[in-house]
Amino acid sequence: QEEAQAIDQELFTEYKFSVDQLMELAGLSCATAIAKAYPPSSFTTSQPAVLVVCGPGNNGGDGLVCARHLKMFGYQPTVYYPKRPSKPLFEGLTTQCKKMDIPFLPEFPAEAEFIDELYGLVVDAIFGFSFTGAVREPFGSILSTLERVTVPIASIDIPSGWDVEKGKADGLQPDMLISLTAPKKAAMHFTGRYHFLGGRFVPPALQEKYSLNLPEYPGTDCVLQLT
Amino acid sequence: AVPLSPQAFPLRSLRRRQPTLLVACGPAQNGAVGLVCARHLRSFDYEPTIFYPKRSPDPLHRDFTTQCEKMDIPFLSYLPTEVQLINDAYNAVVDAVLGAEGTQGTEGTEPCAAILATLRHVRIPIVSLDVPSGWAAGPLGGSGDISPDVLVSLAAPKEVARRFRGRRHFLAGRFVPEELRRKFGLSPPEYPGSDCVVAL
Repeated sequence: QEEAQAIDQELFTEYKFSVDQLMELAGLSCATAIAKAYPPSSFTTSQPAVLVVCGPGNNGGDGLVCARHLKMFGYQPTVYYPKRPSKPLFEGLTTQCKKMDIPFLPEFPAEAEFIDELYGLVVDAIFGFSFTGAVREPFGSILSTLERVTVPIASIDIPSGWDVEKGKADGLQPDMLISLTAPKKAAMHFTGRYHFLGGRFVPPALQEKYSLNLPEYPGTDCVLQLT
Repeated sequence: AVPLSPQAFPLRSLRRRQPTLLVACGPAQNGAVGLVCARHLRSFDYEPTIFYPKRSPDPLHRDFTTQCEKMDIPFLSYLPTEVQLINDAYNAVVDAVLGAEGTQGTEGTEPCAAILATLRHVRIPIVSLDVPSGWAAGPLGGSGDISPDVLVSLAAPKEVARRFRGRRHFLAGRFVPEELRRKFGLSPPEYPGSDCVVAL
């Protein structure tokens, strides 16, 4: 977890990347990975409807970007975003989604069955690699409901609620994991079908410095399928 | 982020042993797009070199410059006027000099005028970002204009793109919301799947 935070810090302070830039590339990777694993034609719901659950931090921001690109790729995303930071970055991302006619739910579906009925996929953009400590409401209840959902769940970077290094055996078991920049230790406990790598922006010098040993991305793709 | 389509020049097709590219960046928005493009080319394992003689003071553009420098992308301090040197050193030139900003007269200001004068004579392919530099100033036609091999229109093809006679025309910049496309009467581009580039 510390290494991931250190790499992030260097990208911002030394390389002068903006949070906006990296979040855009991260969110785009997530949408691209989802499009590869769950193409619109594979949905059993009448429309390729996707529920994107966004948390209170950067992972939630990644989710907002992802939702926007999913819309461009022909999906019908719906966002649930209960705790919104009052920072221009997140306000901007929210506006971009709304102006693209992406609905924002006023409340979270009460039952897992409702989610299974309405959506063919759930994107978990609640907590990322900076998560520590206890899960605060409303996310505790949300995660309990998601644990009972039967449609596939795609988690951004870390399955929400997991310890970033040790995982969580009785927690969320997503079908897909999109690791950003490099897989975190928790990824070793991932048992879902699809593991993608995204966030193709780490300069070679930084990869070397932290011995990331990342496999090669195919051509100009912004995602790499690991499993 | 606007990654250029290396679909036009896949790594294995380049004639020189090293996949070198020259990215000529102007002082404004088009140049900034060129800087972002160079950075992505570098992560795609090309070897871009940037010529960016007049740097924008915009903090965002300055950060783009830093990102390129920290990725060990060299910045030329001058552009050789001896065109053969450019033909020999690089496989292609990315033209991010003026784009749609060139209006009557600006293409004549330094250092853009000198860059364009040189680019008119290179024999290696030119890839123009959005609008071939110098074209926006109005029809010069004949030998006055640069003749790019590849044009990458951004968001939507511009009027001057009708004059493009090169080999490949791509559309990129897959971020225009449907509502905006309808408002401006733009026909929906058919991007395949989750691609951010489409060949027109």
